[in-house]
Amino acid sequence: MTFSIVHLLPELLGTYGDQGNVEILSWRLKERSIDHEVIVVHAGDKVPTKADLYLLGGGEDDAQIAAAEILNHGRALAKAHDGGAHFFAVCAGFQLLGSTFPASGERTVEGLGIVAVETISATPRSVGELISTPTIDVPMLTGFENHGGQTRFLENLQPLGNVSVGIGNSESSKVDGVVTDRVVATYMHGPAFARNPELADWILARKLGELAPINAPIFTALHDERIKNVK
Amino acid sequence: MYLSIVIALARFGGLLSRITKSGSGVMVTGRVILKLIPGAVSTLSAGRSVVLISGTNGKSTTTALIHQALSTKSNTTSNYTGANLFPGIATALAENRAATFAALEVDEMVLPWAIRETKPKVIVLLNLGRDQLDRLSEVRVVAAKWKAALVGLPASCTVLADADDPFVTWAARDWVNVVWFTGGVTGHIDASTCPECGAVLNWTADGTSYSCACGFKKPSPEWILRDGNLSGPNSQRVSVVSGIPGKAAISNAARAIITSSLLGVSTSDSCAAIAKISSVDGRFSTLKIGSTNFRLLLSKNPASWRETLATSSSGPKAVALVVNANTQDGKDTSWLWDVDFSPLRGRTVVVTGDRRLDVSVRLTVNEIEHKVVDNESDAANLLGNCEADLIASYTAFHRLAKGVKR
Repeated sequence: MTFSIVHLLPELLGTYGDQGNVEILSWRLKERSIDHEVIVVHAGDKVPTKADLYLLGGGEDDAQIAAAEILNHGRALAKAHDGGAHFFAVCAGFQLLGSTFPASGERTVEGLGIVAVETISATPRSVGELISTPTIDVPMLTGFENHGGQTRFLENLQPLGNVSVGIGNSESSKVDGVVTDRVVATYMHGPAFARNPELADWILARKLGELAPINAPIFTALHDERIKNVK
Repeated sequence: MYLSIVIALARFGGLLSRITKSGSGVMVTGRVILKLIPGAVSTLSAGRSVVLISGTNGKSTTTALIHQALSTKSNTTSNYTGANLFPGIATALAENRAATFAALEVDEMVLPWAIRETKPKVIVLLNLGRDQLDRLSEVRVVAAKWKAALVGLPASCTVLADADDPFVTWAARDWVNVVWFTGGVTGHIDASTCPECGAVLNWTADGTSYSCACGFKKPSPEWILRDGNLSGPNSQRVSVVSGIPGKAAISNAARAIITSSLLGVSTSDSCAAIAKISSVDGRFSTLKIGSTNFRLLLSKNPASWRETLATSSSGPKAVALVVNANTQDGKDTSWLWDVDFSPLRGRTVVVTGDRRLDVSVRLTVNEIEHKVVDNESDAANLLGNCEADLIASYTAFHRLAKGVKR
């Protein structure tokens, strides 16, 4: 069986290098000789509903709104989610998965409603290194955040990490991201999988089962260097 | 009289700064002038033909080329060594009061102020792209500031604008006196949505043109650069020769030729002058470390990395990458993933700099063989006696361009 990854709207949701997450997933699957394909969905393309993993990255305000309009059309992602697909979303992508997010002129835009979170605007922007202690079985998480949103849980949800450096979802909550049975979302750019390879593998393993180890010490070296030098 | 005294005082301050090695002197001189006479730039610009050059990439090179071209006709002052904020502009104008022309490089966010103060004859808008997003504004914010600043221009001012860049087009298109230029740049990673209305922007498959349902579209350029041949109004034809390597340098040379022709310099004079420049502020200069003879290339953001990698691919086989993430470099290295490093495949690649591990992970996933070393001296030890390119981010480049090795 071919493991299918859908890279959603890279031209709209790719401001902070998050498309690197797709490359890293693909590389890690290739290293393990796991058959896979990457389906890139551009504006105007049909969104597949039967893929295994969907990735959404960060983007500027106009691009995020354009992405919401495109992805809400036909509710393909909600169908994919209900059908058992997994999601990994970063920053604007995280906000998009929620019920609403802010736009310029104090407007509120409807998100995809896949995760019970909402985002309001926050000033000043949260910009800088972000480190958190994960709530899942992976090492410390490290990334770089750059966003003007404050994301709140609308029900009792599990965050991805408890923040020790940076802001994450909001200054008051001291948490970053969210984990549900099929969604992992975060404010960590970097991209997230470059600095946290075990997070990539944790997400893959939820679909593929136990994975063989990869001999790539450079990933661990980068992770450890960031944790050491940012603390 | 008062202005002359202030300038003399400020230059003395700059001299002290140089002697005490606390700075290059340019910033101190400019700060003293602006502190004592806040309107000095306006006064110092009066009666001169001022050209302002701004954009994400190519400012210093284009400014240096325009300075060179205008100097064939008359005394010209400039700040092409990169001091492109308020003090640097004040110093350039104060240092050479006999100059009739001023070619001023201007930081993108300082451009509105520079327009107000200098009342330029020509404004050259190069491009706008993502650059150090952790400390600078998103592209759209900069474009909006430019658009607002251009509204108040006198009709005598000509804006030379890049039609290939949707953000430049959007910022300049309301102005009555625009000269549109195309250098053949295709696509734009930040312009997936329309700068006018926010809808998805329609790009042609080859990336050479764009349009939107709202009516926003690429204007027809008057000046067209193709394969080094520049053609313009009234059947003008110019063969552009650049002493600086790379496609971007040819485009910048073309802009300099057009700009100086607007100010009365013949294209043959400007072409000849421009062709003589082979290095600007250390770019493409050489530095020997150990037994390796490095050619220094500056790369600051995804667009400039792509350009530099393309230019370097026709250079020596060996290449060292030096990437830092200090404030001036941008502290977020995510942009490494916006760059396709595959032009490096098959070359001997060595990586160093403070963020060498980030680069190494990027190159690993990009399937580029490389070695990681602690500093440039170790890179030279590894490469040995050969010619090599050294592509560096901002802070490493400027240190190396001053000959300071690690």
